[in-house]
Amino acid sequence: MGHRHIVDLLGAGPPHVRQMTTAELLTLQIRVILSLVLRETRATFGTSSFGYIWAVITPTASVAVLVILFSMVGRHAPFGASLALFFATGILTLQFFTETSGKLMTVFDANKALLTYPIIKDVDTILARAILISATYLVIMVIFYAGLILAGMAQFPASPGQLVLVFLSTALLGLGYGTVNAVIVSLWDTWIQIEKVLTRPLFFISGIFYVPSQLPTRAQDYLQWNPILHLVEWFRIGFYPNYSSSVLDKTYPVLVGTVLLLIGLAGERLFRRTRF
Amino acid sequence: MLAFDRVSKIYNLKGVRKVILDDLSFVFPENRNVAIMGKNGAGKSTMMRLLAGSEPPTSGHVYRSLRVSWPLGFAGGFNGSMTGIENIRFVSRIYGQDTERVVTYVKEFAELGPSLRLPIKTYSSGMKARLAFGLSMAINFQVYLIDEITAVGDETFRKKSRAVFQEKLKSSQIIMVSHSAATIQEYCDCGLLLNAGGVTFYDEVTELITAYKSL
Repeated sequence: MGHRHIVDLLGAGPPHVRQMTTAELLTLQIRVILSLVLRETRATFGTSSFGYIWAVITPTASVAVLVILFSMVGRHAPFGASLALFFATGILTLQFFTETSGKLMTVFDANKALLTYPIIKDVDTILARAILISATYLVIMVIFYAGLILAGMAQFPASPGQLVLVFLSTALLGLGYGTVNAVIVSLWDTWIQIEKVLTRPLFFISGIFYVPSQLPTRAQDYLQWNPILHLVEWFRIGFYPNYSSSVLDKTYPVLVGTVLLLIGLAGERLFRRTRF
Repeated sequence: MLAFDRVSKIYNLKGVRKVILDDLSFVFPENRNVAIMGKNGAGKSTMMRLLAGSEPPTSGHVYRSLRVSWPLGFAGGFNGSMTGIENIRFVSRIYGQDTERVVTYVKEFAELGPSLRLPIKTYSSGMKARLAFGLSMAINFQVYLIDEITAVGDETFRKKSRAVFQEKLKSSQIIMVSHSAATIQEYCDCGLLLNAGGVTFYDEVTELITAYKSL
């Protein structure tokens, strides 16, 4: 082989390759993502229906533990009448975020075998996972809050429209943060352990078992940098008819999520060649 | 058009740098079946993955204007905990095929019977290869990338796959990795030899085999 370039052999410009139109590419990508979602559903929940039940039981159990602990020491809910509702609004929101970002962190490695099929790209596997986890949490939340309402432990949400928006914003933040982490892990896998330690305090700084507005101003000044705190506050505003927040800024978590997602996607593209 | 333009592939694993392809430019001849031969570790499978697009080159471009299959090997992208049928459905979905048509085809072709309803991890490597082979034959590609998979199964199965294969060859071309001179001679009419010194093209398959044997 000499050092002639293919481009030279064929005259000016790269060889003629029929480009797919944007519409064709989009249909293809949607088709691939949906197939991946179906496949991941099977892989995540296994072949028995017990897998689905387990997915609902786990978050329920963590809310129950907090309710039992607080009841035992005779504490009342920091807001409203129901301990279960107050904790759920915090825990389920935080869990939805951590599940999304945690599952995305290992997505490149977990799906390496899939890349045998060149039609599947890494970004498809990221989106498929995010969609599956969001769908799972949608079901979990609907079942859980419907259960609370039926058991008389909660009222019907005051503004369901707001709840839909918080849900989507939480998904976006989880997707953005998870994608950035996935790229970092692909370059340096010790990050998995470090990230775990770094995000552990989230349970304490996201307003799960207290009302952030009732904290001293100094504490609020620090805590408001945590986008998940805003999501929890936003969720409570949507659920309770009279919850008010002096910290909440709805654009903040959306902005952080968008910026992280852009950085993550750029990183995926930039370091694609080093992953192989 | 299937072409490599100044393609290099370098792996960096735990500080060990391994150059697989170094600035290779090559236009794969159209309507000819190309063999790829070389010793273990020479980069044959890497070349297949680059051709398919399963992996990007370290530098350079791979041009592909034909419908190229995924590299057909033993391992494949099967999910071990999913059943044979579920794996077939998944692949036909991503390639936009009629799922039930593909399932029926593979059922008849691979002769795996009730095993198709069992998880792939219970399959022997022969069974997996039959499934992978049947699956790719059910989907129409213009170029099939075959990585050491033709010599699968017993004599009857081989006869059957040869017949299906010959039928495909009327409208498609193949690029094949194999160590077996007989297989190469049966299917290919030209080929590439990969070794540490670089890549050499042989217009005649007999010359390729001679060169391979003298490596």
